[in-house]
Amino acid sequence: MTTDDKTLKPAHGIGRRQFTGAAIAGAATLPVLHPLRLVRAQAPVRVGVLLPRSGFLSAIGAACWRGAELAPNILSDMGLAVEVVGADTESNPDTGRTQAERLIREGVDMLVGCFDSGTTAAVAQVAEQNGMPFVINIAADPAITEQGYQYVFRNFPKAPTLVMRGLGSINNLFEVTGTTPRTTVFMHINDTFGTAMSRGIQALAPRVGVPYEFLDSISYDPQARDLSVEVSRARALDPDFLMVVTRLNDAILLVRECVRQRFDTMGIISPGSPGMYEKQFADTLGPYAEYATTSVPWFNPTSPITTELQSQFVAEFPDQTFELNPGFTFEALMICADAAQRAGSTNADDLVAALRATEIAEHPMYGGPIQFDEEGQNPNIDTVVVQIQDGGPVVTAPVDIATAEAVFPVPSWADRG
Amino acid sequence: MRSLFEGVPARAAWGLVCVIVLLYLAPLVFGGYVLSVLILCCYLAVLGQAWNVMMGFAGQLSLGHALYIGLGAYASGALFFHFGLGPWIGLIPAFIVAGAMGALIGWLGFRFGIRGVYFALLTIAFAEFVRILFDHWGWIGGSSGMFLLVQNRNIDMDAASIANAFWTLRGPNWVFYYVILTGMVACLVTVRLLMRTRVGYYWLAIREDQEAAQAMGINVLRYKLLAVVISAMMTAFGGVFYAFYNNTLYPESIFSIDRSIELLLGVIIGGIGTLFGPILGAFALTWLGEGLSITQEWFDIAGLKLLTYGVAMLAIILFRPAGLWPWLRRLLGMEERRPDA
Repeated sequence: MTTDDKTLKPAHGIGRRQFTGAAIAGAATLPVLHPLRLVRAQAPVRVGVLLPRSGFLSAIGAACWRGAELAPNILSDMGLAVEVVGADTESNPDTGRTQAERLIREGVDMLVGCFDSGTTAAVAQVAEQNGMPFVINIAADPAITEQGYQYVFRNFPKAPTLVMRGLGSINNLFEVTGTTPRTTVFMHINDTFGTAMSRGIQALAPRVGVPYEFLDSISYDPQARDLSVEVSRARALDPDFLMVVTRLNDAILLVRECVRQRFDTMGIISPGSPGMYEKQFADTLGPYAEYATTSVPWFNPTSPITTELQSQFVAEFPDQTFELNPGFTFEALMICADAAQRAGSTNADDLVAALRATEIAEHPMYGGPIQFDEEGQNPNIDTVVVQIQDGGPVVTAPVDIATAEAVFPVPSWADRG
Repeated sequence: MRSLFEGVPARAAWGLVCVIVLLYLAPLVFGGYVLSVLILCCYLAVLGQAWNVMMGFAGQLSLGHALYIGLGAYASGALFFHFGLGPWIGLIPAFIVAGAMGALIGWLGFRFGIRGVYFALLTIAFAEFVRILFDHWGWIGGSSGMFLLVQNRNIDMDAASIANAFWTLRGPNWVFYYVILTGMVACLVTVRLLMRTRVGYYWLAIREDQEAAQAMGINVLRYKLLAVVISAMMTAFGGVFYAFYNNTLYPESIFSIDRSIELLLGVIIGGIGTLFGPILGAFALTWLGEGLSITQEWFDIAGLKLLTYGVAMLAIILFRPAGLWPWLRRLLGMEERRPDA
């Protein structure tokens, strides 16, 4: 554009008044034409993220935290503004409660957390009592969203759903591979999660129509240092495969003991528990971690958001594996930022109304659109079958998003070392 | 009252009164987070004081005191959940259940001569046994937990609703604060008075030398049992408070050994066998922990709190093995005068 130097009037005849008028008109139409840019100019929603970053759940808490660390930049590129304020629950519900109170005092607009059901339940109560919107990233205890809470939302399946879909996925795995085992021994941790899963499996297995018989159910302490007796007991029953509900350390211990006792089965399969898809599991056990199978809520490898998230994750944390923990934490923050954008304010009641109206079709985790029912529960999260192959987890079912073929039955321990 | 302050220097008595008055005034100045930390301090002080009765005064080591917290919490919580009975009514069965369990464990241990670490193992075993039992007991929610009705705390309250809040323990944080602060003071007074009775002196004699105490004609079994029962009942009060403050009960969490360890740490740091040790220890450890939590968030180093916490405790145990209170008491010239011979 050229201008007349003396009058600062543009050469094509637009004067200062016309320019000012046009600028005002342009500014007035900007919100209509560019809603996302307007949001960027807004103050970001401050979200307190409560995770067990120390204590016995620290490894998983750290994995979740990686998702929270990536969220502000990726969401900003999507036109969603979020500021993350972290707090460590120390794997302790009482600390989680105090930290939630601290975050509320520090002026966060929403809360996200807390991985374990005990701490999540405690924080849910604090959120409800203080009128603070709380989005649960991971916690499966059904009771948390069955209390009639107004401020609590969960983007993770309840334990019975997890079990039902887990058992269904395992049935599909057997159909796809053409091998149907006839017997199993169920080994599970005896904490809140493990016991709830155990009861769910006992109740739902007949309803799902599992083709195998449960020979025994063996429980153990998740902090056990030795599982030789439990594994010997399972081995004596000679099951076709082992069904397990574990956490990380005991999963490693259990497989080590199976290898040591040369306890070969068609495979070790979890209907929906942490441990066997985690990096530390594969790194520690090497070839013995191969083909460990878990049916679990997982990221959708075909989603463009997941591709973006995964590439940034690899760039930022090259030594880590992207899995459900950072995925669900990221998604919880995405839900918060989306609600804040639609609410247009950080008022708690506006945010809750926006959360209730959530409808996110494109998101990283596998399943239908993110929506919340009257309980504040997202009913659309689905599960996939994940198997360790070549040192990392790959999706083997459902076939429309599978990135590898399932191996079942698995090679014996002797053929791997 | 005379018995309460007998032998206590005037400076110490006035200091104590001032601290208590300041604590009662705290809700006028602080809210939200600070109040919730103060609640945690008082709660741990109550539990510490209860454990101190058994270990500090009667010399019986328990590493399973979470059992009595859980029994108290579940007894009152279940009555509220199923029948709508308030916490103060629930306190009665909580005392009975916890006291009876304490008596059972004590009787089993003392009757069959189980002492020291073996008795401590027995207390852990019972806590674990009850945890597993409760994990499978559907009436109290099993492993899925028990959730008590929650009320939004940001509501305006009139005089009637304040009274109701104290009666039902459904209300804002300051209601819980006054309840647990009063509980802490009540425990302090109870233990102080007990220690000036014959029972208190018998406990000290048993702690110092059980055989000698027995030779002097003290019924060791009876007085040791009494210590366990009183300690269990005081702990159950903490459990009832926990149930209504936290509103969520999971067997895995409430009966965990971590909780048993947590409650005795304050006593060890403050000073075992002293009246103010459990209170000082609970306040010192809780505030240290919170300070470190905030520092750890500033520097974004997860685990810094637990690490520093451990080092601080190691330092206290190395350099002040009797705890902070005996040292502080000497420093402030507040040592109790011995009764004239």
